[in-house]
Amino acid sequence: MSLDTVQNLIREVEDFKIDTSSDLENFRLKFLSKKGLIGEVFSLMKTIAPQDRKQFGQQVNLLKQNAEEKFESFKLQFEEKTEQQQLIDITLPGEPLESGAMHPLSIIRNRIIEIFGAIGFTVSDGPEIEDDWHNFSALNFTEDHPARDMQDTFFVQKNPDLALRTHTSSVQVRIMENNKPPIRTISPGRVYRNEAISARAHCFFHQVEGLYIDKDVSFADLKQTLLYFAKEMFGTDTKIRLRPSYFPFTEPSAEMDISCTFCKGEGCNICKYTGWVEILGCGMVDPAVLENCKIDHQEYSGFAFGMGIERITMLVYDINDLRIFSENDVRFLKQFKGIG
Amino acid sequence: MKISYNWLKKYIDLSLTPDQMEQLLTGCGLEVEAYEEVESVKGGLRGLVIGEVLEKEKHPDADRLSITKVNVGKSHLLQIVCGAANVAKGQKVLVALEGARLYPSFGEPFDIKNSKIRGQISEGMICSEDEVGLGASHDGIMVLDAHAVPGTHAAEYFKVEEDVIFEIGLTPNRVDAASHMGVARDLAAVINTRAAFEKDFFHKPVQVIQPTISELKITNRKNPVTVTIENAGDCPRYSGMSIHGVKIQESPTWLKNALLSVGVKPVNNVVDVTNYVMFETGQPLHAFDAHKVRGKIVVKKLQKQTPFVTLDGTERKLTGEELMICNEHEPMCIAGVFGGIHSGVSNDTTDIFLESAYFNPALVRKASKQHMLKTESSFRFERGTDPANTVFALKRAVTLILEIAGGSVASDMIDVYPNPIEPAKTEISYDAVRKLSGLNITNAMTDEILKYCGMTLLNKSDDKVLISVPTYKTDVTRQADVVEEILRTYGYHHIPVNEKFGMAISNHKADIKPALQKKISHYLTAQGFFEIINNSLSSLALAQKYNPEITPVKILNPLSNELDILRTDLLFSMLGTMQYNNNRKQQNLKLFEFGKTYFHSEGKNNETNKLAIAVTGNLHESDWHKQDRESNLFYLKSIVLDTLIQIAPVPSDFLKWVMAEHAVFSSYASLQNRQSNIGYMGMLKKNFLRQFDISHPVFYAELDMDLLIKRAAQYKHRIKPAPRFPEVKRDLSMLLDAQVQYADMKELALKQEKKLLRDVSIFDVYQGDKIEAGKKSYALSFILRDDEATLTDKQIDIIMQKIETAFEKNLGAVIRK
Repeated sequence: MSLDTVQNLIREVEDFKIDTSSDLENFRLKFLSKKGLIGEVFSLMKTIAPQDRKQFGQQVNLLKQNAEEKFESFKLQFEEKTEQQQLIDITLPGEPLESGAMHPLSIIRNRIIEIFGAIGFTVSDGPEIEDDWHNFSALNFTEDHPARDMQDTFFVQKNPDLALRTHTSSVQVRIMENNKPPIRTISPGRVYRNEAISARAHCFFHQVEGLYIDKDVSFADLKQTLLYFAKEMFGTDTKIRLRPSYFPFTEPSAEMDISCTFCKGEGCNICKYTGWVEILGCGMVDPAVLENCKIDHQEYSGFAFGMGIERITMLVYDINDLRIFSENDVRFLKQFKGIG
Repeated sequence: MKISYNWLKKYIDLSLTPDQMEQLLTGCGLEVEAYEEVESVKGGLRGLVIGEVLEKEKHPDADRLSITKVNVGKSHLLQIVCGAANVAKGQKVLVALEGARLYPSFGEPFDIKNSKIRGQISEGMICSEDEVGLGASHDGIMVLDAHAVPGTHAAEYFKVEEDVIFEIGLTPNRVDAASHMGVARDLAAVINTRAAFEKDFFHKPVQVIQPTISELKITNRKNPVTVTIENAGDCPRYSGMSIHGVKIQESPTWLKNALLSVGVKPVNNVVDVTNYVMFETGQPLHAFDAHKVRGKIVVKKLQKQTPFVTLDGTERKLTGEELMICNEHEPMCIAGVFGGIHSGVSNDTTDIFLESAYFNPALVRKASKQHMLKTESSFRFERGTDPANTVFALKRAVTLILEIAGGSVASDMIDVYPNPIEPAKTEISYDAVRKLSGLNITNAMTDEILKYCGMTLLNKSDDKVLISVPTYKTDVTRQADVVEEILRTYGYHHIPVNEKFGMAISNHKADIKPALQKKISHYLTAQGFFEIINNSLSSLALAQKYNPEITPVKILNPLSNELDILRTDLLFSMLGTMQYNNNRKQQNLKLFEFGKTYFHSEGKNNETNKLAIAVTGNLHESDWHKQDRESNLFYLKSIVLDTLIQIAPVPSDFLKWVMAEHAVFSSYASLQNRQSNIGYMGMLKKNFLRQFDISHPVFYAELDMDLLIKRAAQYKHRIKPAPRFPEVKRDLSMLLDAQVQYADMKELALKQEKKLLRDVSIFDVYQGDKIEAGKKSYALSFILRDDEATLTDKQIDIIMQKIETAFEKNLGAVIRK
């Protein structure tokens, strides 16, 4: 093998015409494959006289380097060309992944639990089929009290009465009977009223009851807790208004309005042009209720509040018909993907 | 309850806009639900004036029309085309001018415009009474008094009054405000308190003015009445008085208007006065015809089943529990509720006996409920009227009757009140007021507000005050009630909001259900499931058809027979939801619901928290990129098992699927954990689904959340280090009888090698024409591992041999070698 042979090969590599990917493959086979010409040159190296080897080696390495560089350069060129030709339309829709949603009432219930959980309220529960004592008597609804007319009741048994609870306030009584203060709890749950079903009323709905019993709990504490809730739930610029009201189990009692979240007080359908929307009832636990639950009202005081989850949900999502919640139309439910 | 602003102003010198009134009333617990600015005639007769017809000619082109020239007090006469037959020269008439809006007695309001009628200009309209809402007659135009002055505004001529009517949602504790004087009293307390303690309050202090009572001279004693009360507790006070020689007729306009403004229909002058005084003072009164009373009133209960015809003409059977006002022989009135048809005031009545009493509230409430009679009177009595007020109201009514209906007082003032009801006395601690309210309020300020609220301060010390509560405040007896009086008078808006939370750690242990529920929901929604919420009221007929062995909890007073029990499972509502969505072209559904199921057993009503999971249709929406996949039992099964893992990892020996036959499922298995049934799943029968118009297969599972919650509460999570030695997988393929269950095979294999065999799984199932009928082919994988050392081939072969032998012997498996 002479030096010329190597230099001819270098020229041959340089002149090899590559137009297609098969030209490239032929190039590889001719020069770079195991049985290719460059391999052959390397195997002949041992026949070169030792004093010539250095010069020979330089030229052989140059040959290999040139061939490899040419190959890699064309390979990259062809790869990019192919990729360009096989461009994918990324605007096509993605694969449908599974993704459902929680019911809006659950989303809001969980949010309420979270908000009160952050200020130390535990969650509690009680039965839906309730006796007269827990649903009415212990809550200071005496027999034949006009306040009993405020709630139409479904009965499952008479004498002694068993009814579907008309409010979650019944859980208050059970918690106070079974725990010593301090008590700080909320009780979400399902309640029933014997009312014709319409956009504004349903025979079943959901409430959250709140209760705090300790020494020296004041009406100001109640106001503060509810203001915190309103701001968390409806936004930090929300204002609250407490109006004197009446519930047999609280004294003093109040109803709470929030500044209308829709019109910001300008007046709209939702707030009936008053700028205020009623969202809950509350008050200081009546001393008679504390006594009924064997809690000394001289030593302890407390507040309670109750709100309808449907009511809050309707305000948050601008829903105006209660019946939507139990229709379970998936086209409605799909709008809650990713929430909660 | 309706309150008229004009009426209110008779007792209190107010100068408030309707909005300010609303703010004050709502602010003190008399919630204004709505208010309406009204005129005694709708539209206030604006744009209507008195006119004088000066000329009248026949319309040239219309037989029935006349052309008139009318003087309406302006410099020029109006030409008005009139269609009424009775229009005549010289008449004083009511003219609607251009731009007036008329509110007819019947039909929609309309506007008056100048126009041409059959070619003749008509500037306004001469009106009939029904066209302007003054009456029902359409017999020609209204002809007014001859002295009427042209140009006078009709509102002035007809004395139209403007008023604002407030609709107040009275809470059951506030009967003290069920009258105009009551509302005036509350408003005065609020205005005076706030004027004293708020800088720049918008109203000056006020005083409540009592209505006038004339000195009632007893001119004769023609109609003496003796009153006997059988049980003093039923009727603590009974006052009454007779009037001789009244003339029953229509009431004067002011009285009729007052009653109409609060929504009460005028009847006659005597009845109207009793109603007026009730809306004025809050004390219901009843007027008897004195000839029916015949000198004797007996207040007592009668025998059960005694017939009694009330004023509405209905004969009612008495329950024996209602208190009755009787004469010597027969009942005349259900006390405090409703009068009898024969004893009331009729057009022929000349002598009356007026009753003003205080009845036991519970008795009135019971009678009102039993007879389903809710009257203005029972509304007040059952909430507790003011026992101190009977005589005042009576005198006020007598004053008005003498004035309006004539006659003279014909008996002494009767007042049976054997045990006078004392005002409640209660001791208030100033400190307690501050503590309960959170208000920083001085003792002196407390005293002052109490006085504005009508309380009498009896005895004072440095830290306490004994007060006497007026008898009209029936709901105020204790310190907490007094704190409410102070707060609602001073205003809830004064209550401060602290900057720091005062809170304690609750002694009550939290319920973990909501947190678990949320966790499961997050898992299921991530798998594409939607949460649904259904009514727990369901139908007995449906439950009995498919679940006859369960005794449902029945509703005694259901809304309908579709909703007459509490649901016994979540299946029917789930299928109802699927049907609802199928009907709206939503075929691919993955749904879940948390809900209670209820049943009655051994005298007890049980409530169990359940989770229902169901799929139907395709598992995902149709797509260009992915083949449609139909929902199936094994998809649901994995969802169920993964759901269980959300609560606590499931050890392999924890669960067992037990297949069984079922009335509504074609394939069904219950999920058992040692003794208890955790739930079930299956595929529903086509025939059953047809009842719900569902055509696609439905796969349904129901889990007992209460058991799972219990398990979660007990579960403590422990972890082990990752294995240090490799695991080995061996496969076995075999032919089996079709009845052999995979679960049994797995159990059998694990029994053969308890330590080193870690898991068994299946990677191929075949059943079809390539093998013998009644047979199937399963291919199983076995995972083996030793935690102490690397397993040797010899060890593995011994184990696999044991398993093969067991399969062959116990299950008749033919192993493919």
